[in-house]
Amino acid sequence: MYEIWLVINIVYEIALSIWPVLALALAVWLAMVWAARAPLARGGCAVNALGLGAAVALLLFFSVPSLTNSSFANMGYWVDWANLAAVALGLGALAAVFFWPLLTLIKSKRGRA
Amino acid sequence: MNKLPLPRTAPSRRAWLGGVSGAGLALAAASASTSAQAQRVATKAHIVIAGSGLGGLALAHRLSSDLSGAKITVIDAKEVHNYQPGYTLVATGVWPVSKTIDSNADLMPSGVEWIKEMVAEFDPAANTVVTSGGTRITYDYLVVAVGTYQDWTQIEGMDVKAIGQNGLTSVYPSSDAAVATWAAMDAFRQKGGNAIMTLPHTFLKCAGAPLKMTFMLRDRLAQAGTMEKSKVDFYSALPNIFSVKVVNDNVIERWGPLGVNLHTKQKLTAVDIGGRKATFVTPEGVSSQVGYDFIHVVPPMRAPDAVKNSDLSAKEGVMAAGGWLEVDKTTLQHRRYPNVFGLGDINGTPRGKTAATVKKSAPIVARHVVDLIAGRPLSQQFDGYTSCPMIVREGSAMLIEFDHDGKLTPSLPMIEPLQESYFAWLMKVRMLKPAYMAVLKGRV
Repeated sequence: MYEIWLVINIVYEIALSIWPVLALALAVWLAMVWAARAPLARGGCAVNALGLGAAVALLLFFSVPSLTNSSFANMGYWVDWANLAAVALGLGALAAVFFWPLLTLIKSKRGRA
Repeated sequence: MNKLPLPRTAPSRRAWLGGVSGAGLALAAASASTSAQAQRVATKAHIVIAGSGLGGLALAHRLSSDLSGAKITVIDAKEVHNYQPGYTLVATGVWPVSKTIDSNADLMPSGVEWIKEMVAEFDPAANTVVTSGGTRITYDYLVVAVGTYQDWTQIEGMDVKAIGQNGLTSVYPSSDAAVATWAAMDAFRQKGGNAIMTLPHTFLKCAGAPLKMTFMLRDRLAQAGTMEKSKVDFYSALPNIFSVKVVNDNVIERWGPLGVNLHTKQKLTAVDIGGRKATFVTPEGVSSQVGYDFIHVVPPMRAPDAVKNSDLSAKEGVMAAGGWLEVDKTTLQHRRYPNVFGLGDINGTPRGKTAATVKKSAPIVARHVVDLIAGRPLSQQFDGYTSCPMIVREGSAMLIEFDHDGKLTPSLPMIEPLQESYFAWLMKVRMLKPAYMAVLKGRV
């Protein structure tokens, strides 16, 4: 339990250090959700968003080690791979959620055109 | 002050981030916060905290939320808050120095009195401290968290201001010294040469730092392709290089293939900075002089004079020579003055001079102060937990956690302490500073 609490606090402190960026992203996302609320209610481009999230996760899986001054050569044991996968999947899921309304908006615009 | 609206703290202007963390979490937090508020102990006690490092500020935050009506005074002249666990990363070219510098004004909890002077004298018999400005301050409870004193005078010829010149380096004195150390290491690795790494005979804060610096120097030489032209020698004043035997043996085993030569029972006694020569003396008094192109000097450490010269310091045993605070290692209460507690590097406890020790012991000390105020028996036991993310090269580290007895105590069962790993490296470079800030704010 303590370790979970610690991880929540680590994520919070990281978020706090970049809060202007996060606030801007949240505002943009909320605006997109509002603009795309009708098609989103019908499911929007959920599959496309999931695909995009998977692509982002895959990209991150291969790039996070080098972005953190390391490499695949330093993967010592299964805990390393599990953590890397968790980081990539977590951020991929966030990307899917963030881009879902945007993809829906683009599709709606194309449909009207 | 930035606070998560979670247990122990009041809601803050940045509570919106709680929403980001999830509505369920916020609800649980609100419930826990209400419970914590209800358990606050009412008191008019005056608590003095000497020191505003991680320990001092963590305790100030915790007592601010655990007590109602108390007067809490923090005494420390330091305006800058240094994230010292980041110095090894700065000194080896991994981090910019800006990541290690914060402001104490931003980190001090509201409602706490901050006296911007140093404690010059402790008079525990009179429940009084005297500041460097001569002010006498009387307390009901005292927490000593003043850290260590780096005794450079024990190394003849050493000049901290010369760090960065003539191959002279040290990660310990300051963030500026860490920057200068990286500049010197970067210049050295281009050409290679003779490198000397040192370890003194005293207790140290972050005793893993000299080993990390050695691993990273060797790695930087290998990256630059100059390791073949170089010689790396580690001189320890002790018979070993780390107090936990299994870690000591593991590191020595790793150094062999890396070409790091170990010399034990060799105490650095003098440095000729201009001549680039170091003098070592054995316990038998045999002296030898060694030339170098690069040297990493680790200062002998002891308690600051205010503690060492007071009745708070240990009077016998292994802690007496350094004048460390005489506390019980499981309660962290002073052995002779029960209204005095110690926190962090100043404590005369085995193996515990790291930020990780403060993470585990600050909640215990805070609870014990509250227990004492409430007239309850001390309710917690400190097991001496500490941790050392031992960097073995850029991109890889070992996450070593252990207790008073030198027993390895990994926080999570799947972590293998002596396994070099990317995860431990990621912890060190990306997660430990946020964890440190959460500890400082009294949340974990």
